[in-house]
Amino acid sequence: MSMNTIQGQLFKSMLVSGSNHLSNHHHEIDALNVFPVPDGDTGTNMNLTFSAGVKEASALKSEHIGEITKVLSKGLLMGARGNSGVILSQIFRGFFQSVESKKEISALDFSEAFVKGTDIAYKAVMRPVEGTILTVLRESSKDTFEYVSKQHIVSIEDTLDFMIKRAKVSLENTPNLLPILKEVGVVDSGAAGYVAILEGFKMAIEGNVAVLNETNQEFEGVQSRIENEEFGYCTEFIIKLSDTVIKNFSESDLRDQLARMGDSLVVVQDDDLVKVHVHTIRPGDALNLGQRYGEFIKLKVENMQEQHEHLSVIQATQVKKKYALIAVAAGDGIQALFKEYRVDTVISGGQTMNPSTEDFISAIKQLNAEHIFIFPNNSNIILAAQQAESLLEDQDIRVIPTKTIPQGLSACIMFNPEVDVKENIHEMTEAYHHVKTGSVTIAIKDSSIDGLQISENDYMGILDKHIVVNSPDKMKTIKDLLEKGVSEEDGLITLIIGEDAIASETDEIVAYIEKTYKNCELEIQMGNQPVYPYIFGIE
Amino acid sequence: MSIDKATEFGNIKISAEAIATLAGGVVTECYGVVGMASQKLLKDGLAELLGKENYSKGIVVRETNKQLEIDLYIIIGFGIKISEVVLEVQKKVKYVLEKTLDTKFKSINIYVQGVRVIS
Repeated sequence: MSMNTIQGQLFKSMLVSGSNHLSNHHHEIDALNVFPVPDGDTGTNMNLTFSAGVKEASALKSEHIGEITKVLSKGLLMGARGNSGVILSQIFRGFFQSVESKKEISALDFSEAFVKGTDIAYKAVMRPVEGTILTVLRESSKDTFEYVSKQHIVSIEDTLDFMIKRAKVSLENTPNLLPILKEVGVVDSGAAGYVAILEGFKMAIEGNVAVLNETNQEFEGVQSRIENEEFGYCTEFIIKLSDTVIKNFSESDLRDQLARMGDSLVVVQDDDLVKVHVHTIRPGDALNLGQRYGEFIKLKVENMQEQHEHLSVIQATQVKKKYALIAVAAGDGIQALFKEYRVDTVISGGQTMNPSTEDFISAIKQLNAEHIFIFPNNSNIILAAQQAESLLEDQDIRVIPTKTIPQGLSACIMFNPEVDVKENIHEMTEAYHHVKTGSVTIAIKDSSIDGLQISENDYMGILDKHIVVNSPDKMKTIKDLLEKGVSEEDGLITLIIGEDAIASETDEIVAYIEKTYKNCELEIQMGNQPVYPYIFGIE
Repeated sequence: MSIDKATEFGNIKISAEAIATLAGGVVTECYGVVGMASQKLLKDGLAELLGKENYSKGIVVRETNKQLEIDLYIIIGFGIKISEVVLEVQKKVKYVLEKTLDTKFKSINIYVQGVRVIS
């Protein structure tokens, strides 16, 4: 049977078919998503958008196409999700404007409406990016309109056939227009979604309206309801029927009453127990009704909107990264510095406050990465990190045994997400071995270490693990420490200023270093670390 | 204000102006955004629509506590779901800037200065 016009009834089933066909393929479309941001949600967004619009449109009693598309366009606007969803809403806004006054539409009207849709869709962006849904829409609509205009009589089937063929050619060409697609070896995801909708339309014209795949059905059902903010609570309870009720209890009566409150209804009776599951916006009413029949054995009410949002948060974080970095540091300046160097998690700790193995494990569990590098940045913490490594056997964890902050920083700088684990370890190890660390702190008691007699309140200069100088004079300690630490091959001194540093002293140190070590570049970082007013990285 | 980096070959400085221009270019490709606007509203409460060469006037790059922030003053087309457009702009700008500059941005703030009817 060939048709020359589309009536309201058919148009609605085209929409439903388009929506179902898109929904059945949305996972594949998600997988194509690399532009504008590779977050793999295009299919899902388009599906949610289109099904929101179609749901509104198909609920409409009218069979006037102008009215149907009006409701569709409104529904799409309100339900728009993501970039592709917004574009979709604009296409059908234009479509609506073109067929507004028409009760039924011919092939020419149909193809013209898409041309108008193209116009509107293009107007909403200053610099359209080609190689996307916009390109496929424009090329297929324009050519189809020209094709239809030239024929005397053309059936709807032929029109859609032509449009889909043209759209597919255009879709295949998207990688040639948008380099990122070619690089990854995919076609544009939004455009693929658009083609899926057109294919759904065609299936309806041919008399086989696309049906939702079983696996998608429940998921889709929940999603589209949430879109409309109806039936917001998943309500479940089990009632033990009281003796008086049990004789006259009718499962179908209860079901009928609950059906008025919501949907996704399940009522099951087993002897004196009745289990009820319903999605409703007024869970209280459902519970009141249930209570009339007997006592609750179990109750559960969950906000599906929240769940849904929570779910999307989890999904967003569940994209597995190749690498993640964990560093241990104290002082907000140093912590920020590590973050800047692409460290994902900075565990607070250092001298005198060592993080536990448990701290490492919980940090590791929050990260979702194939390989995790840990920078303990203190010799006392390396062990805890290594324990975490041995406890979590199914996770690839590499502890880079950095003993000081400067070592950790220079190892992090060498991290390269593009190369493999082995090379990273090699580069990072090489980097931190080259760094000498000097630090200055105050002695809290008299002692004799490394052949030095140290009195209480003396300043001590520590080079890597050893106390090398001490003096009651802070500046002298620093100068002597630098003298021992800096050799001729060194070219960079990093000064990390602690929370106890005094500005005037800092200035003095900076001036001294600049004057004395002319061959070295000086880098100053606000570390705000406790205990050590100054830490020097020398390399 | 600028992004400073050092590589083994030398130092790199990327100015706020350069970042703003880059961000401006990205915004023009964002679906639903039909223009950039000035930050200050004119006397009658309307935002000045900026010409192409002035896009960076509608963009402010800031550094607070060593973290980069960017403000974008935009105009959105009528009949488009603003909340989605804004979210997509934030996502895309953040993605492109972080990818091309290899630097983290703490926040991408969007100010919708107007809605324009597109006929």
